[in-house]
Amino acid sequence: MAGNEVPFSDSLKTQGNMQQTLPLQNATKADVSDKQTLLAVLQFLKKNNLKGTEELLKREASIKDDDVRPPTSSQSETDVSHALAAYKSADDPSRFADYYTNLKTFIESCLDAHKVELSVILYPVFIHMYLEMVYNEHESYAISFFRRFSKEQEDFYQEDLQRLATVTKKEHMKGNELMESFKASKFVIKMSRDSYNHLKRYLQENKMKPLLTIIQEHLFIDVFDGVPRTKQQIDATSGGLMGESERDANKVKVFYGLLKEPDINMPLEEEDEAPEGDDKPKKKKPKKDPLMMKKSKNDPHAPAFNRIPLPEMKDQDKMEKITAYREALKRVKVNRENLPTICFYTVLNSYQGVTSIDMAEDSSLLSVGFADSTIRVFTTSSQKLRGMKTAGELDSIDRDADDVLERMMDDRTAADSKLLTGHSGPVYAARFSRDRKYLVSCSEDGTVRLWSLLTWTNLVCYKGHNHPVWDVEFSPYGHYFVSVGHDRTARLWATDHHVPIRIFSGHLSDMDCVKFHPNSNYIATGSNDRFIRLWDILNGNCVRIFSGHKGSVQTLCFSPDGRFLASSGVDSIVLLWDISTGGLMAQMKGHTDTVYSLCFSRDGGVLASGGLDNSVKLWDVVKVLQEVDTDADTSIPSSVHVNDSAGLLIGSWATKATPVLCIHFTRKNLMIASGPAALQEDKSPHKT
Amino acid sequence: MADKEHKEQKIGSQISAETIKVIAESVGIGGIPDDAAGVLAEDSSYRLKQIVQEAVKFMHHGKRHRLSTTDIDNALRAQNVEPLYGFQTGDGIPFRFASGGGRELHFVEEKEFDLQEIVNATLPKIPIDISLKAHWLCIDGVQPSIPENPPPASKDQQQKEILDTTVKTTIEKQVKVITPLAEPHKIKHKHKGITDLAKVKDLSNHELSVEQQLYYKEITEACVGPDEARRSEALQSLASDPGLHQMLPRFSTFISEGVKINVVQNNLALLIYLMRMVKSIMDNQTLYLEKYLHEFIPAVCTCIVSKQLCMRPEVDNHWALRDFAARLMGQMCKNFSTSTNNIQARITKTFTHAIQSDKAALATQYGAIAGLGEMGSEVIKSFLLPHVKDIGEKVKTVLEGPILNAADKIAAENIKKSLAKYLSPVLKALRGPGASVDDYTAEFGSLGPMLHTAVGRERKSSGNQGSQLAKTTGLGTPSQDRTRPTVTIPTPRSQFVIQQSSSLGSLPGTPKQTQGAIRTPGTTTLIQGGQPKTPSTPGQQKFIVMTSRPSNNGQSDKPLSMSSGTPTVVKVMSGGSQGQIPSAVPRTPTTPKIVVMSMTQGNSGLPGQGGPGGQDLGMRSVFTDQINNIKKESENS
Repeated sequence: MAGNEVPFSDSLKTQGNMQQTLPLQNATKADVSDKQTLLAVLQFLKKNNLKGTEELLKREASIKDDDVRPPTSSQSETDVSHALAAYKSADDPSRFADYYTNLKTFIESCLDAHKVELSVILYPVFIHMYLEMVYNEHESYAISFFRRFSKEQEDFYQEDLQRLATVTKKEHMKGNELMESFKASKFVIKMSRDSYNHLKRYLQENKMKPLLTIIQEHLFIDVFDGVPRTKQQIDATSGGLMGESERDANKVKVFYGLLKEPDINMPLEEEDEAPEGDDKPKKKKPKKDPLMMKKSKNDPHAPAFNRIPLPEMKDQDKMEKITAYREALKRVKVNRENLPTICFYTVLNSYQGVTSIDMAEDSSLLSVGFADSTIRVFTTSSQKLRGMKTAGELDSIDRDADDVLERMMDDRTAADSKLLTGHSGPVYAARFSRDRKYLVSCSEDGTVRLWSLLTWTNLVCYKGHNHPVWDVEFSPYGHYFVSVGHDRTARLWATDHHVPIRIFSGHLSDMDCVKFHPNSNYIATGSNDRFIRLWDILNGNCVRIFSGHKGSVQTLCFSPDGRFLASSGVDSIVLLWDISTGGLMAQMKGHTDTVYSLCFSRDGGVLASGGLDNSVKLWDVVKVLQEVDTDADTSIPSSVHVNDSAGLLIGSWATKATPVLCIHFTRKNLMIASGPAALQEDKSPHKT
Repeated sequence: MADKEHKEQKIGSQISAETIKVIAESVGIGGIPDDAAGVLAEDSSYRLKQIVQEAVKFMHHGKRHRLSTTDIDNALRAQNVEPLYGFQTGDGIPFRFASGGGRELHFVEEKEFDLQEIVNATLPKIPIDISLKAHWLCIDGVQPSIPENPPPASKDQQQKEILDTTVKTTIEKQVKVITPLAEPHKIKHKHKGITDLAKVKDLSNHELSVEQQLYYKEITEACVGPDEARRSEALQSLASDPGLHQMLPRFSTFISEGVKINVVQNNLALLIYLMRMVKSIMDNQTLYLEKYLHEFIPAVCTCIVSKQLCMRPEVDNHWALRDFAARLMGQMCKNFSTSTNNIQARITKTFTHAIQSDKAALATQYGAIAGLGEMGSEVIKSFLLPHVKDIGEKVKTVLEGPILNAADKIAAENIKKSLAKYLSPVLKALRGPGASVDDYTAEFGSLGPMLHTAVGRERKSSGNQGSQLAKTTGLGTPSQDRTRPTVTIPTPRSQFVIQQSSSLGSLPGTPKQTQGAIRTPGTTTLIQGGQPKTPSTPGQQKFIVMTSRPSNNGQSDKPLSMSSGTPTVVKVMSGGSQGQIPSAVPRTPTTPKIVVMSMTQGNSGLPGQGGPGGQDLGMRSVFTDQINNIKKESENS
C-alpha cells in the first residue's frame, strides 16, 4: 500500500522477479534464442553481400527488415558497459567526502527517532560513492574516502567492505561478483513515511546531484506508514548483501500446511499392535483415531495433495508410516522441564577431514562425507548393513514369500559400515531418502550422485552444476531432490531425469544450503549473500525473502508443522522465521562460532543447534510462540517485535573438542548429535 | 586505535613491485620496467585476494576454522585456473619466521630429502580405520562425568571457586545429581550465570552423593589394600577421571592423615601407597590442586626427610620411598611454585637446614639430598654443592667410626651414591674434563675421589649412566621410574555407565556400545520416565567396578614384617602442629587424639597371587619390585 506513492522508487521496482524458471518461459526463451541465431545468420549474409540468400532466408523465416539491425558489439559487453556507466559522472571526486559528511551531519541533526532509520542509507551511499570514484579512476581519492568512512559502517558489513576494498581499479570492477550484485540490484531500505519525508526535503533543499543520483538509481526505499523503527528492530532484519527484503516480496500466499495424510489401513495396525503390549494400545486406540481425523481434516493452509505430483505410496511405505506412527506414540516430551537425552556419535580417526554428517529420518543410518571424496554409511542399530544378492541368486528366490525383502539380502556382506567411492572432490552433503533405499550426495567436483543402499553402488551421476555443489536434499516424499551450489542456482531433479526439472536462481552469491518443506511444495535456500529464499516448486517463483543474517547461511530447518523456518550460519545467530508472514520471530544468540546444524524436536517445541564451537544448545520455541504479539500488524515493520531475550536458551552441553555437524531428533525425541573428533593439530587454534 | 591501524593495513597490503620482478626473473623474464611491475603487482594482489575470498567459502563448507591449501586449490579450480601442485599438507603449512634488518619474513622451509632414505625407510603404520563411537553427551539434561565429556568443572572454575564461594555453589548446582524425588522445577540450569546480588558467602558444604561416597570408599580401599591389580586400576582412575574435584578435599585429608599415622607406625608399604595416590592425583589434568597443597606438601615432605619410615631401617628399602617422594616434591615445586606462595624457596630452605644440622639423622640427610637433587641443577649448584664437604666428613666418620651401626652405615653408603647421582651431571657441566682427583678432593673433601670417578663415568657414557647408577644404587631404575608405573598399564578401564537397560552396559572401547540404545524399549522408559527409582540415577552413574576382592585370604605373608595383623589400629598421637613441615615437628604427645584407621589384612604379596579376581595385568610396578627386593634382602640377612 505504501511505497507505491514514492516518486522515484516507483518505476524501479520491476526487478526481483526475473528469477522464475517456468517451463513455459523456457520454451519462449528457446524461441528467442532460435530467432537470434537466425538474425545472426542474416547479418552474416548481409555483411558478405549475399543478397539472394538473404532475401530467401528472410522470406522463409518471415522476418521483417526492422528486426535485422547490426549490433554494435557483443551483447554481454554492452550490458556491462551500460550498467557500469551508471557510475560515470563528471563530478569532482574531492567533493564526495563533503557530500557524505554533509549527509551525515544532516542525519545527526535529525530527531533520534528518525536518526536511526536514516542512518541506514549511509552504507549504500558510501558504497556507491566509492564505486563511482573507482569507476572514474580516482583511485587515491577512493582509497582515502574508504579509509575515512569505512570504519563507521555497521560491523556486519565489514566483511563486504573488506571485499570491496580489494577493488581499487576500474578493470577490477568487471567480473567481480560483489560488483555485479551492487550494480545489478538495488539496495533495499525500509523506512517510515516521516523519515522518508525528512530525507526528501533534505535532498530537495541541498541540490547535491551525485547524492541524488545514487539514491535514485541504486537505492530502493520501501516506505511504510507507522512509527519509525528502533535501532534494534532495524538491526534485526538488516545485514543482507543488498539490505533488507522488500515487503512486497513476501506477500504471496504460501501453503505451509502439511499434506493430508493418506488413509492407512487401520486393521493392519491393530494386528501389529495387539501382540506387543496388551495394556497400552487399548487405552490409546480411541484417542488415536480422532487425532488422525483432525489431521486429515482440511487445513486451509495446506496445498492440494496433487499440487506437486508425488509418487504413489507403496506397501512398504505404508508399513514405514505405521512404524513411525507407533514410535511417535512413545515420544517423550522435550521442553524446559524435561530436558532431553543426547547420544553423541563421534567419528574417530578421520584424518582426511569430515565435511558432512547426516542421519536418516528413522535414525538407523548415519552418513559421513569426507574431504577425500569418499562417503561412509554407518549403521547405528544392531541391524548390519547388507548388500543385495547377485542376480542369479535373486532369481531363485520365491517371490511370493512374506519375507522376500529379507531373503534378497546377502548376509555375507553384512558390515557395520559401507564405503561409497565415486566422487572426485570433497563430499559436501550426503543425504538419505526417506525410505533409506537411496543416498544422494554432492561434491566439489560439480556432480550429484545417487547411490543405492541395496547394492551399495552408484546409480546415477547428475551433471548440471558446473561448479561445486554445496548441498543436496531428498524430498520428504522421495522421487525429487534439490541441489544448490557455487553457481548460485538451485536445481530440482527427479531421480529418473538426468537433467534438472526446475532451476531456481536469484541469490546474489553462492547458495550454501537447501531444505525441502515438509509438504514438498517448497524449498528454502540459504546463501552467502545472507538472504534466505523460499521457492515454490510448482512455478519456480521466489515466494519469500528473509533478511537478517549477518553472515553466510549454512543451515536451515523447517518446523515439523511446516509453519516456521530456523536458520543459522557463519554469524552464529539462530533466527526463527514465520513463513506465513515472512517476518522474523526470534533471534537466538549464544553460539560463539559457525552453526552447522539445526533440528526441531519432533513436536516442534524445541530447537537444537550445534556447530564449530563444540556445543549443543537448546532453544525454547514454545516460549517464542507464547510471547509473540498476535495483535501486531505484520505489514508495518515497526510494530513487529523480535524476541531476542536470553531466556530462550534452555540448555547448553559442551563436547570435549568435537564440533557438532549433525543434530537429529529420533521419533521418540531422543537427541542425537554427531561430529568428528578434533585432530591434534586442529586443537591448537581453539586454545590460542 | 590499534584496531584501526590493523584494518588499514589489511586494506593496503600489496605485493610489492620488487616481488614481481623477482618472480619474473625466477621464470626467466628479466628487465621488467618499473611501471609494468607496479601494475602487475596491483593486479596480482587483487587476484590473490579474490582467490582467498573464494577459498574461504570452501573452508566454511569443509567445516573448518583454518584455511588449507586444498581450499586454495579448489578456489582456483572453481575459477577455471589450474590448481597449484605440491602443496598438500595435512596440518597447515609449516611457515617459519625470520626477521632481520627491520624486516619480517615468513617462509616455507624446503628441506632436501635423501631419496635413498625414504625408499629404505620402514613403511609407516597403517592408520587406524575410521570408526564411530557413541557416548551420552547428556542424560535428561545432565552431563555425565565420563572421559568423553569435558570435566564438569574446569580448572579455571575450580580456581575461581577459591576466590569466590558463590562460584562453588554454581558449580555444584551444575553437577548436582538430580535425585529421583527432586521436582523438575528445582533444576536451575538457567541460573548458571547469576550470582547472589548480596554476595553473602554461603557455607559451602561438601555433600557427596551416594555414588561419590561409594567411589571414594572403593578408591581409598583399593589404594591401600592388598590387591595390586585393583590398586593400579584405582590409581589409574584417580589420574585420569574428570570430575573428582568434589572429592579432592577428602582425598587430601585421607593422604595427610594416613601419612601422619603410618609414619608413627613405621608402615613403609602404606606410605608408599599413599605417595602413589599423590602422584596419581597430581597427574590428573582436571584437578586444581593449589587449594590442597597445605596438606599434600607436609605429607610428601614427611616421606622424604622423616627420621624413620620403616620398622627395620637397616634392611627395609625406605630409600626408594624417599626418592619417590623427593621426585614428587620436585614436580610439585615445578608445577605450583609461584612468587606468592614461594613453595620452592621454602622447601629448599627446609632441606638445606636438614643438611646443615648436626643433629639430623643420616636418613633425614639422605632425604634432604634427594629432595634438593630433584629440584634441578640450579638448586644443586647453590645449595647442595657447598655442603658436600661437610656431608662427606659426616659420612666418613660414620663409615670409619668406632661405633658400628648397620643402619647408619647403609645410610652413609646411600648418601654417597645419591650424591654421586645428583652431582655428577652438574659437575660435568661445571668443571672441565681436566679437573683432577686432587682438585675434587680439595673441594669436596673425602667424597672427592668418588665424585671424580662418577663424573668421569658420566662423561664416558651419558647414555648408559642412568641404568648404571641404578645398578650401583641397587634401587629400581631411577631414571626409568619417572614414568609413572600406572600409566603404562594397558588395563582396560572397567568403568560402566550404568543404565537401566542391560543392553547398554557394554564396555566403552567397543565402538558400537550404545547404539542399541536408541531403539531398545528399555531405554525409552529411562528417557521417558524421568523418575527412576534407584539411586543410580543418570547423571552421576559413575562406578569403578572392581574385580571382586577375594575374601580375606589370611595369608600372613608379611613382607614388611609387620608385627601386628590386627585389622584396625587405634593410635594415640599428637594433634598439634601437624600442618607444619614435618621434619621440624616434635612428636610430643601434647593433646592426644584418637585416630581410627582401617588397616589391611597383610599383604598378599605378588600381584599374580592376588586371588582369582586379581589378574596379573602385565603390571609390575616399581614398588612391587622393590617389595620383592626387600623380601629377598630380608631372606638373605
